[in-house]
Amino acid sequence: MLILQLIINGILVGALYACVALGFSIMWGVMNLINLAHGTLIMVGAYVALLLFTFGGLDPFLAIPVSAAVTFAIGYLLQRWVINLVIRGSVFLTLILTFGFDLLLVNILLVLFTADTRSLTPHYSGLGITVADLVIPYIRIGVFAVAVALTYLLHVFLTRTRLGNAIRSTSFDREAAELVGVDVTRIFPLTFGIGAAMAGAAGVLVALTYSFSPVLGGAFTMKAFVVVVLGGLGSVPGAVLGGLTLGIVEHLSTLVVPPGYQEGIGFIVLLVVLILRPAGFLGKPFYAEVKA
Amino acid sequence: MGTWRGLRRAKSIPDRLITVLVAVMLASAPLIGSTVADAQDPVIRFGASLSLTGRFVDNARLTKDGYDFYVKHINERGGVEVGGVKHKVEIKYYDDQSDTTTATKLVEKLIVEDKVKFLLGPYSSTMTLPVTRVNERYRIPMVVAHAASTPIFEQGNKYLFGTLNTVDQYFENVLRMAMDATPRPRTVAILNENALFPQLSADAAVKVSQQLGLDVVYNQKYPAGIKDLSSLLAAIREAKPDILLGSGYIGDMILLARQANDLAVRPKLFGMALGPTHPRFVESLGKIAEGIVEPVQWAPNMPWKDEIFGWTAREYADIFKREYGYEPDYHPPQSTAALQVFHRAIQKAGSLDPEKVRDAIARTDIMTAYGPVKFDERGVNVGKRMAVIQIQEGRPVVVYPGTGAEKKLTYPR
Repeated sequence: MLILQLIINGILVGALYACVALGFSIMWGVMNLINLAHGTLIMVGAYVALLLFTFGGLDPFLAIPVSAAVTFAIGYLLQRWVINLVIRGSVFLTLILTFGFDLLLVNILLVLFTADTRSLTPHYSGLGITVADLVIPYIRIGVFAVAVALTYLLHVFLTRTRLGNAIRSTSFDREAAELVGVDVTRIFPLTFGIGAAMAGAAGVLVALTYSFSPVLGGAFTMKAFVVVVLGGLGSVPGAVLGGLTLGIVEHLSTLVVPPGYQEGIGFIVLLVVLILRPAGFLGKPFYAEVKA
Repeated sequence: MGTWRGLRRAKSIPDRLITVLVAVMLASAPLIGSTVADAQDPVIRFGASLSLTGRFVDNARLTKDGYDFYVKHINERGGVEVGGVKHKVEIKYYDDQSDTTTATKLVEKLIVEDKVKFLLGPYSSTMTLPVTRVNERYRIPMVVAHAASTPIFEQGNKYLFGTLNTVDQYFENVLRMAMDATPRPRTVAILNENALFPQLSADAAVKVSQQLGLDVVYNQKYPAGIKDLSSLLAAIREAKPDILLGSGYIGDMILLARQANDLAVRPKLFGMALGPTHPRFVESLGKIAEGIVEPVQWAPNMPWKDEIFGWTAREYADIFKREYGYEPDYHPPQSTAALQVFHRAIQKAGSLDPEKVRDAIARTDIMTAYGPVKFDERGVNVGKRMAVIQIQEGRPVVVYPGTGAEKKLTYPR
C-alpha cells in the first residue's frame, strides 16, 4: 500500500516537475540559453499568488494567469533590453548574466518579503479523496490537472500555431529561420516571456504544494535542469516523461535509502540516462544542442 | 634661641607628619574607599558577554532586558542583603558581536581586568560552549540562562549552572501529558532534522517514549534544507502513529504542518520542539496550525510566586511589559532567575568569595517567577519541567501542567 501511495505522490509531483521544467526547456532549446534565474521566476509567481491571496482573498488557482502575466512581463523586458544584447555571444556570457539576474531577483524578494517561510493555505487544503486507505488531496489533484493542462496548451501552441512554428524553427536553425523571414529579435523576447510565464504559473502550483521562501528558487532550477536533460532538450513530451520519472524515482527511493539521499537520486538517474542515452529520453541530435 | 628652635622643630614634626599623613590618605583615597566598602557596602558586580550586535542580537536583547530588570528592582529595594548589610548590584556588559572568539576573550577580560567574580551567560548554546572553558579555568561561577544543549553541562564543569530546561527535556512533558489523555496513545512517530538541537531532542523523545511504554513506530531524520516531506509523511501515515513529534527549525515545521495536513496524516497529538509559538507560524498556516503543541520554558500564567520579589509570573510579565514595552516570552524571566540564583547563594554563603558562592549555588533551592530552580550534579535545573502550549483559535495557550493550564488540551487534535 505504501508503494502505491508513493507512486501516486510521485506522479502528482512529477507533473509539477514537468511544468516547472517546461519554461526552462524552451528557453534552452530555442535560444541556447540556460536561464539560471528560472527557479527565482517561479518564486516570483509564488509570491504574486501569496499577495493576491493574503490581501485580495483570491483563490490561488485563479491567481495563475496573474502570476504568469507578471513573470511574462519581467521575462519579455529582460530579454528585449538586456539578454538580446549578448545572445549571439558565447553561452557562458548568458549564463553569467542570468546568474547575476537571479541574485538580483532573490535579493529583491528578500527585501520585499523577508526570508520567512510562507505557505499558501486555501480553505480546502487538507481535504481529499480517500480510496482504500490511499489519500489523494484535492490540492494535488488540482496542481496535477493544471500542470497537465498548461503542458498540453504549450505543446499545442508550439506545434499548431504560426508563432509556435516560428519559435520551433528558430530552435532548429536560427539562420535558416531568418532566411525564410522569421524576425528572430522579436521571437527571442517572446520565447523568454512564454518560458517565464510558465515559470510564474508553476510558481503558484509550487506554493500550493510546498512551503516556500525567496531562496528556494535555486532548488527548482536544479530540478528543471535534471528534468530537461532527462527528457531531452526543447521537447515538451520529453519534459513530461522526465518530470514523471524524477517524481516517481524520488518518492520510491525513500523505501530503500535514507531521506538524506532523496535529493541526490535525481542526479544518479540523470547520470545513468546520460550514459545510456546522451540526448535524453526523447531528445534528437541537432534538436537544440548546446553550442558553446 | 636653641630652645625656640627646638620648640619650633618639636612643633613642626607633628605638623609635617599630619601633612604627610593627609597626603598619603588623599593619594590612597580610592584604595581606602574600596577597602572600607569591601567590608561594609560593596557593589556586587556581575559580568556578561552578550551578542549586542550580530546574528544573535534579537534574543540577546531579551536576555539583557531580563538581567537589567533584576538589577533595577533589587537596587530599588536597596540591594542584596548579606548579614544585615545591603549591597547594590551592577552588571558589566561587553558586546561579543555574536562571535565566539570575541566572547571568549571578553569573558577572560571580565575576569582578569575587571576582576568580576560572578559571571552571567551569553545568549545561545553556540556562544555559551566556548566561554565555559574560560570560567572553568579561572574557577569563576557562571549561571547561564540561554543554553539548552545538554552537552554543555556534561563536560564536568563544576562552576557552570543553567536556569533553563535542557533540550533532552523538551518532549518529556508533551509525552507525559499525552499519557494522561483518553483514548490513551500507544504509538509515536518521531521525525527530526539532522542537526544538533533537533537530534538531541528527538533522541530524548525516543528514550522517554520507551520509558512510558509507547511504541516508537517511526523514527527518521531528514537532511537540512529539505524541500519536500511528502514521501516521509506517506510512510508515517502508513505507520498510523497516535502521536507525531517533529523537531527542526521553523521553516521545516511550517512545511511539516502543511504537508501532513495535505496528505491526511492526522495523529491524535501533533507536537513540535520549536515553531508554533513563533508569530509567523499561525500567520502562515492559519487553521492548519490548530491543535499543534509545543513545549515551552515558561509562560506568564504559570503558577509560580517569586520568593525574593514576591510577584507572581503574571505580575512579573505585567511589570516587565510596563517598563520595557513588550510582553515577555520566556527569555527575560529566564535571565532574571539566573541573577536570583546568585542572590540567594551569596546570602547563603554570607560572602563574596567565588568558591563559597559556587558551593552555595550547587545547593540552590529557590522559587522564582520563572519557576523553581534546583540543580543536579551537572548544574542543570531539575526544579522545573517544560510547560506545554497548544495552538487554540490561532493563539498559543498553556495546556500543561494542569496547575498552570489556561485551557484544556484538545485531544484528539
